[in-house]
Amino acid sequence: MEHPSISRRRLLALFGAAASVPVLAACGSSVGGGGGGAPAGGGGGGAVKVGLVVPQSGVYAALGTDMQRGWELWLGQNGGKFGNYTVETVVADEGETPNTGQPAVQKVLQSDNVDVVVGLVNSATALGVANLLTESKKLLVVTNAGAGDVTGAKRTPYIWRTSFTNAQVSAAMGTHLAQSGFKDGVFALAPDYAAGTEVIAGFTKTFEAGGGKVVGTAKPAFGKTSDYQPFLTQIQQSGAKATFCFFSGSEAITFVRQYAQFGLASTIPLYGSGFLTEGNVLPQQGDAALGVQTTLHYSDQLDNPANKAFVESYTAKYGESPSCFSAQTYDAANVLNRALRTATALDGDSIAGALGGIGTVEDSPRGPWTFDGQTPKQNLYLRKVEKVNGTLVNAVVQDLGQQSQPL
Amino acid sequence: MLVSVLNGFSVGFLLFVLAVGLSIVFGMMDVLNLAHGALFLCGAYLGATFAGGWGGFLGALGLAAVFGLVGGGLLSLMTEPLRKRSHLDQALLTLGVALVAAEVLAIVFGDDPLSVAAPPGLNDSVQVFGVSYPTYRLVIIGVGAVLALAVYLVVERTRLGALVRATVADREMVSVLGVDNRLVKAAVFAIGSVLATTAGVLGGPIYGARPGLDATVLILALVVVVIGGLGSVRGALIGALIIGQVDIVGKYLLPDLSSFILFAALALVLVLRPQGLFGGPVGTAGAR
Repeated sequence: MEHPSISRRRLLALFGAAASVPVLAACGSSVGGGGGGAPAGGGGGGAVKVGLVVPQSGVYAALGTDMQRGWELWLGQNGGKFGNYTVETVVADEGETPNTGQPAVQKVLQSDNVDVVVGLVNSATALGVANLLTESKKLLVVTNAGAGDVTGAKRTPYIWRTSFTNAQVSAAMGTHLAQSGFKDGVFALAPDYAAGTEVIAGFTKTFEAGGGKVVGTAKPAFGKTSDYQPFLTQIQQSGAKATFCFFSGSEAITFVRQYAQFGLASTIPLYGSGFLTEGNVLPQQGDAALGVQTTLHYSDQLDNPANKAFVESYTAKYGESPSCFSAQTYDAANVLNRALRTATALDGDSIAGALGGIGTVEDSPRGPWTFDGQTPKQNLYLRKVEKVNGTLVNAVVQDLGQQSQPL
Repeated sequence: MLVSVLNGFSVGFLLFVLAVGLSIVFGMMDVLNLAHGALFLCGAYLGATFAGGWGGFLGALGLAAVFGLVGGGLLSLMTEPLRKRSHLDQALLTLGVALVAAEVLAIVFGDDPLSVAAPPGLNDSVQVFGVSYPTYRLVIIGVGAVLALAVYLVVERTRLGALVRATVADREMVSVLGVDNRLVKAAVFAIGSVLATTAGVLGGPIYGARPGLDATVLILALVVVVIGGLGSVRGALIGALIIGQVDIVGKYLLPDLSSFILFAALALVLVLRPQGLFGGPVGTAGAR
């Protein structure tokens, strides 16, 4: 033990192990499927058991809180019933990665015998539980996970989505920037993981289709980058007229603050996918976020009666404004209610069939939307961070129209 | 480019303040303290709690120093019974402490990443080489340089420093001369920990405070120690500055390889000079 060379090998092994921890932690989530389930007859009363699998621990815990609140708010407003079924909710912790998420889904399906699973933040988990749901023929309503494959190339009839796809959100921004004087040059950057790649691909496709030119791209290491200065300097030297980016969580906070600190905010306007400034990251970014423009399918500032009522009751109950995560889960309850009015049974095939026939969800806080395939065709909004009465908000600048999952 | 180099220095000096304690404790007492990152995170959370004005910032620095002294003393005490055991046993103990500390911090401060504002007056940007650069990072370079100089002078030019260097070079011989090793170790542990918590407060406005930051900075510090060589202040300084430049300028020049550059540099040093740039020959990690 006196030999430093030995100790160094040990040390390397140790931090090799340490380095793998955040990687594992970065990709978890769970999908649940119902096991036994109540065999209640078509709309004739009885109970429906729902497994709400959302993160209660880890870096996505705040999203999980928003999602659970959206779910409980809808049930509270509607007597706790879907159609004639009384809803019984079992909550399970998705955690951060598929390592925790998949067992959570398995648990609600097999131990709690739920009929429907709702939730999932992590796309890897949503993709990972597909077989579990197909085998048990139970329905999953994804209320966040944005990977295109979930309802695209790796689609199964049992997984539906009330949230968004990564490329859907960024494609709207691509079209918008091409039409608003930034054709000459946009610098695009996102972390080097699946969601980042999808966002950039979606953006680049519509931006270039509109005649725009991407003058540079960068892929900072996901979860390991806390200093963006090297990338910021690249942006400045690329001659870009605007920056398009996708970050979320602590990376969104760091990036937006450094973008302002290094003086880019005043010369090269910052655009992004809506998650850059959504939910709990915005107050942390502070004034550095002022003027940042993003696209998303929701903002708590939307001016429609359904959203005003939603924001008012949500704020009254929980003391803070809802996020898109709250609205997505609120809508999941809404569409399940519509489906269970007509579904003949509680198995995945019956509910999926009924979901396909619910038509337009006209009373959603995000504005009217419909299922296109198994994912929403919905309005995308251009939002700009502004200060209203001392609070930073995502003010709605423009309605970019209805769009579906890009092919 | 020049901004990148400048930024590499601010990161490098911060890394030095963080890593020098780890290096000396490891080099001198053969204790691999994996709780070093947790100490940094404690400092960062202290900074986040009191952020806002100069009073809060300086108060956080003071509290961090007290916390580092106590924490370092406790860690020294805890590793004492294991002094005859292998590095792995000590590493497991300090890793356990690090995990417990991280969990406690998550319970107290929550899972949300906290961002920390720099003290008033340092929270904006100045023009350097014709581009904006955050004032706070310039100050970090100055503060880091002063701290580096102070640590260097104490270790290289004082009687106390001579004792530390002698202990690094040959612990048994110092012990034979009538010096209680355990006291030297406790003192070095405590000072090293104070530097780690201080680095946490100083680094807060750059890195923020969030769960997982402890592991990130621990890995950086370990890389610095491996590159610089064990138990050497000069090694830790040069190692930290190199890592700062490699990390920042490397990412700028080779953005596609940003995940690998740091560890490529580490691998290169391990192949070419396994004892580190300033480490002594195997068996007598020297402080020169």
